[in-house]
Amino acid sequence: MANAIITARGVGLDLGGVPVLRGVDLTAAPGEIVAVMGENGVGKSTLLRCLAGLHPSPRGEIDVLGGPPADLPDFWRHVVQAGDEPAWYPGLSVREHLELMEAVHRDARLTVGEALETFELTARADLAPLSLSTGQRQRLSLAMALLRPSRLLLLDEPERGLDAGFRRRLAAILRGYAAAGGTVVMATHDALLARDTAARVITLRAAS
Amino acid sequence: MIPATARTHPAFAYLRAHRGRPATWSDRYTSVFGLLVAAAVLGRPVAEALAGLARHADPARLGAGLALVAAAYAGFLALARAFGPVMLPAADAAWLVTSPLPRRAVLSRTALLLLSAAVLAGAALGLAALSVFGAPGELGVRLAAALALGVAAGVGGMATAVLGQQSPAADTRLQFLIAGMFSVAVLAAVSGSGPGRRILAAVAEAPASLGAAVAGVASVVAAFLARRAWAALDRIPARRILASSTRTARVTSAATMLDPGMLTWVAEDVHWRGRALRSRPWPRLVSRLGPAAALAWQEWLRVGRRPGRLAALFGVAALPAVCADAVGGSAPAAGVLLCGALTAAAMCTGGARRDGGDPALARMLAVDGRAATAARAVLPALLAAAWSALALAGLQAAGALPAGAWWALGPAAAPALAAGALRMARRRPVDHSMPVIDTPGGAVPTGPLIWAATGPDVALLGSLPALAALVTRPADVVPYVAAQAVAGAAVLAAFVLRSVRRARE
Repeated sequence: MANAIITARGVGLDLGGVPVLRGVDLTAAPGEIVAVMGENGVGKSTLLRCLAGLHPSPRGEIDVLGGPPADLPDFWRHVVQAGDEPAWYPGLSVREHLELMEAVHRDARLTVGEALETFELTARADLAPLSLSTGQRQRLSLAMALLRPSRLLLLDEPERGLDAGFRRRLAAILRGYAAAGGTVVMATHDALLARDTAARVITLRAAS
Repeated sequence: MIPATARTHPAFAYLRAHRGRPATWSDRYTSVFGLLVAAAVLGRPVAEALAGLARHADPARLGAGLALVAAAYAGFLALARAFGPVMLPAADAAWLVTSPLPRRAVLSRTALLLLSAAVLAGAALGLAALSVFGAPGELGVRLAAALALGVAAGVGGMATAVLGQQSPAADTRLQFLIAGMFSVAVLAAVSGSGPGRRILAAVAEAPASLGAAVAGVASVVAAFLARRAWAALDRIPARRILASSTRTARVTSAATMLDPGMLTWVAEDVHWRGRALRSRPWPRLVSRLGPAAALAWQEWLRVGRRPGRLAALFGVAALPAVCADAVGGSAPAAGVLLCGALTAAAMCTGGARRDGGDPALARMLAVDGRAATAARAVLPALLAAAWSALALAGLQAAGALPAGAWWALGPAAAPALAAGALRMARRRPVDHSMPVIDTPGGAVPTGPLIWAATGPDVALLGSLPALAALVTRPADVVPYVAAQAVAGAAVLAAFVLRSVRRARE
């Protein structure tokens, strides 16, 4: 694919001598949503980490945004990874986390108010993230990821902790992101989310 | 008393039967033998130390000594409050506290442990107080009175903490007691070398019988409080016991895994959990300064949200002067000064610590590593500068330093202290795979040693001119201030240039 955002060919990785990924191919174009599915332990999260440059030397060839991925600020200015374990800073409210994201990335995609409303966090805006439920913390993490500008979203089980109603809303949000030219690669167990986002599904199988 | 029916409840009989094996004769022999060996080894030094108490107090050190004892007691109370103090192992807390079993019977073992801890801590405090005031005559009576007074203070304080766990009103009283003890410490430190010296000297020379009478009254009050705390055990809400047990389990886990860095996370989470915050927008000026300044602004917000902690920090700026007064010599005071200034700087590195432990947000923010480090160093440097300047002024006012602009050493050393604090915030967990070195003094595990030295090493290196000045006390401090300014700036510059966020697996 000439204008691909991601081109991965023959990606393989062993962890502790155990093969986790073997010969995985994946491409993603601008405006495309790719859902990586498969049983527990087939390497969905590991593949996402490889695409994010967080595994030092996977086998095969990985090209993200025209070069090999690297865990450096220049790479992360275009790529957002979210949805693994939500992270937050102590002593900052939900609103302030979004304020921080907006202050750091001046050309934000959403205003803080829009992000609070879109991710149904307005009533919890003045709470510390530690006081939120698991699903609300996940929504905060996704809100931060989608507030800032990016070209590629890497989401690891974004549906984790979300209720059925918000999963449908998330599908609409991701469709909107892709319609604006962004690319989404998400590892998921939710076939409905994959269907609602009109994602191209890649199913991984156990490497060993 | 626990009703007999509660003690013989089948659930307790089951737990007793399944909690480890009963003590054998071999266990008992080992325990008794261990106690005898400890008595044989410690008996002589303890007897000599006690005999050494039979002396007149040194009036010059009375105030500082009393300040340290009062601060230690306040610390004991604060620790008891922070831990619960009533708590259970995680499994017992989850299963027994929420069961219909009599609460006091479930907590009786904990109560016994708390009593033992209070007696031991109180006895240590009593001996420390006696070593400050001395025992010019009737050593036996004074020793017994000091021990009784200390144990009464320990038991009474612990009982107050238990009552505080039961009701918010009692908790407020406990907080007043802690604040009162800190105030006594400050008052003793400040007035001990001036107007208060005569009063303290009179207390030291008071007849032993008066001390015994005070100890008697204190014991009655402590017994009354202990009785009320014992009655309150039945009424402590289950959620408070569960919360303190969870907290303690996490702290114990951090201690057993020898990962002290986790303790900071526990303390932060405990403080911020359940708090509603008044959200504030990021100031436009800060945003205009760039992404790194916007990232660092969160530390300013956090510091502003804990004014009590900031006040306490500046309150203990008198500690180096108290230490110089109590111990004599400038080397220990210089050590306390360095530790205090590094603590001040480390107090506002929460964001860097979180990014070191979990870089997910740092990746999402995508701020350049060097710019972020430089921006994050500003507030720690300012706090360290203010704290150490105040502490140095205190040392000079106490007469421990000659005339001159000694306070300027603080701001000059502040950049190096900020670099040390940020290095501490970013250090990885203890590496237990590091080798253990056998020395004549015993085996030394290098993992925890290197972990503990990471951060203080840079602070120490960058503060060498200031420490040299404090130890040698030259007549003209200006050359040392200049050297310190160069060293501090060089250390911070080198630290910023070398700081590139590391990828974590």
